[in-house]
Amino acid sequence: MRKILTLLATTLLLTLSSALAQTVTIWSGYPEMEAFYNHVAEGFNEEYPDVTVEILTQPLRDFERKVTVALPGGSAADILEISSSFAARMVQGGLIPALPEDMQDFVRSDAYNDFFVENASFDGDVYGVPLFRGQGALFYNTDMFAEAGLTPPTTMEEYVDYANQLTVRDDAGNPVRSGWSLRLSGGGSGVAEKFWTIMHQFGGSIVEQDADGNWVAGYNNEAGQQALQLYVNLINKDNTLTPELKGDAEGFELGTTAMFIRESWVIGDIASKAPDLNYATALLPRGTIALPVNLYVTSDNQAAYDFVMHALKPENQLWLVENVGWLPNRQDVDYTPVVETIPQLDAFLNIPEDHVLFTVPPISPIDEVQTRLAERLVKAYTDASLVDNPDGIAKVLEDAAKETNQILERAGLQ
Amino acid sequence: MHKPSPLSRQRWLFAYAALAPIIAIYLFVRIIPIGRTFLMSFKNWDLISKNKPFIGFENYSRLLQDPVFLNALLNTTIIAFGIVVISVPAALGIAVLLSTPRKLSAFYETAYFLPVVTSMVPATLAWKWILDANLGPMNQLIGFFGIEPQAWLVNPRLAVFSIILLSAWKVVGYNMIIFLVGIRNIPQSYYEAATVDGATPLQRFRFVTLPLLRPILLFVSVITVIQSYNVYTQVYVLASDAQGAPGYVVRVLVYDMIENGFRFFRMGYASAEAMLLLLIVMTLTILQFVFLRERT
Repeated sequence: MRKILTLLATTLLLTLSSALAQTVTIWSGYPEMEAFYNHVAEGFNEEYPDVTVEILTQPLRDFERKVTVALPGGSAADILEISSSFAARMVQGGLIPALPEDMQDFVRSDAYNDFFVENASFDGDVYGVPLFRGQGALFYNTDMFAEAGLTPPTTMEEYVDYANQLTVRDDAGNPVRSGWSLRLSGGGSGVAEKFWTIMHQFGGSIVEQDADGNWVAGYNNEAGQQALQLYVNLINKDNTLTPELKGDAEGFELGTTAMFIRESWVIGDIASKAPDLNYATALLPRGTIALPVNLYVTSDNQAAYDFVMHALKPENQLWLVENVGWLPNRQDVDYTPVVETIPQLDAFLNIPEDHVLFTVPPISPIDEVQTRLAERLVKAYTDASLVDNPDGIAKVLEDAAKETNQILERAGLQ
Repeated sequence: MHKPSPLSRQRWLFAYAALAPIIAIYLFVRIIPIGRTFLMSFKNWDLISKNKPFIGFENYSRLLQDPVFLNALLNTTIIAFGIVVISVPAALGIAVLLSTPRKLSAFYETAYFLPVVTSMVPATLAWKWILDANLGPMNQLIGFFGIEPQAWLVNPRLAVFSIILLSAWKVVGYNMIIFLVGIRNIPQSYYEAATVDGATPLQRFRFVTLPLLRPILLFVSVITVIQSYNVYTQVYVLASDAQGAPGYVVRVLVYDMIENGFRFFRMGYASAEAMLLLLIVMTLTILQFVFLRERT
């Protein structure tokens, strides 16, 4: 009898302990964020020793596919780190619950500016907790600029002029160093986002809402034409860059480009891959893209909410920007010490009031709109027949806008 | 009418019983999903909402007017037949050279077969480096012949050619083995008779080997085309989001299908694409059966 009782007691204890032991799972589409979550988990486990934190990071597109399949099937992680534009469809489809009232109040407090609150909200409720943003600025090689006697450009005319001045060519006339690296190819909607950033300096947008609230293509206009003409001319007329020349962060680190526009993660990338590179950052002429990435809790798991709040602590926000390079969204944290240590963050963290931040709107077909546009842009960039051909440029944008509007109409947004 | 004996019936029952688990698994993982995909192709579903409205043939009619899909279909067809054009003659040539056992035959057979068993992802990554416009050895190689460096993964035509080259390299060993088995099964007496008649090695190949290998040639060609229509991994790895990758330059059917389904949330549309791919592959398979039956 005693043996049976002992066995029952042991079983009961084991059951209870397993019930008490909780697990919080986090999925991220940014592999570099794993270090951040591990850091947060360390501090979190000091307060919550019974909670096991499991982190899974994957390349963004694989991650998005995984979330797309797992979330409707009820097998997604407790916490998903996703952009507000990608989350829009999930939120509208009722797959992600609104935050508890106290957390909604926190997000609506002075901790965040309205831009981030709006992007984490739907229909009056807050669904996501703003964590970080991808925000563009100019990266330029200070040695190359000093050699050419240049200071950071402040107008688009100067950008084009500098691109020409800073390009270095071989004996055959082919660029071996681009003056200004532009995103010319690659999968995904990144091509369109980079185009959007350039076009924004001329006053255009990929999509916009008309007076009736309908979403329409916003680039079939003078701003779009100026932006596309800039790309076409720099590649086919000025010969300042070629698609095969190493560009972007890799080219900047290798010294095959003098300047380019990118997000703040490049700072961390340079620190690890080209620590001796002399460079600085500068604001873009008119404004820049800011892509908010939020934390969404998918399950009724209190430990998951606690973990999210722990990640938002000021010390963790500072750790994020200093060690990973992504920009935290809390505005009530003093980032001065980090900027003093890493002066290149200044152009990302100290934004003047008149500097316009824009973002990808949280409408369900936005990724398709950008991806389809990107495909047309990639073809147009290297089309030499578009040089000094405003009619040709206008035709490319007109055809693309027609497709964009068809996608928006199919999605019921017109 | 012949009536099967009780023993014969028992054997049939045993055969069906033995096959039942395999048939059940096949039904579960192949036939039912294909059936559901077929039904889905007539619906409009975004993967999330519970409503899946029936829209008839709208997905199909949109597909046939979609320049992106048509471009993917064209690219896939060019790649599929390009792989055949390169890999089948190459495999046949290698098989002929290796058909006579020599000292290093086994080594060469293994060397040519190695790419077949190499995982596609690391193999493609290696090719990505080989084809790199700035650092890749391919440009150094063509430089010896006085050809200017090429942007293999950026230029649309060269990117398609790069995919063909990589895929042909991957499949040539498999095709070679099949040809080798076929050649070694040709009775030696045919060659002896041809030699007695004064045939040169080239004539022996032209008038003995090739006619007798025709069914195998057809089989290898059709199987290679069918497999090549499913080209995806090499495109995905070469086209992954890196700067300078071909991106949409090398859009193929499976890539387009996955993008429509799991990125743009157009499951009905992607299902219609899948059914068209199935139709192409089935047509090729039927053609193969018809021609093989005629030959045999």
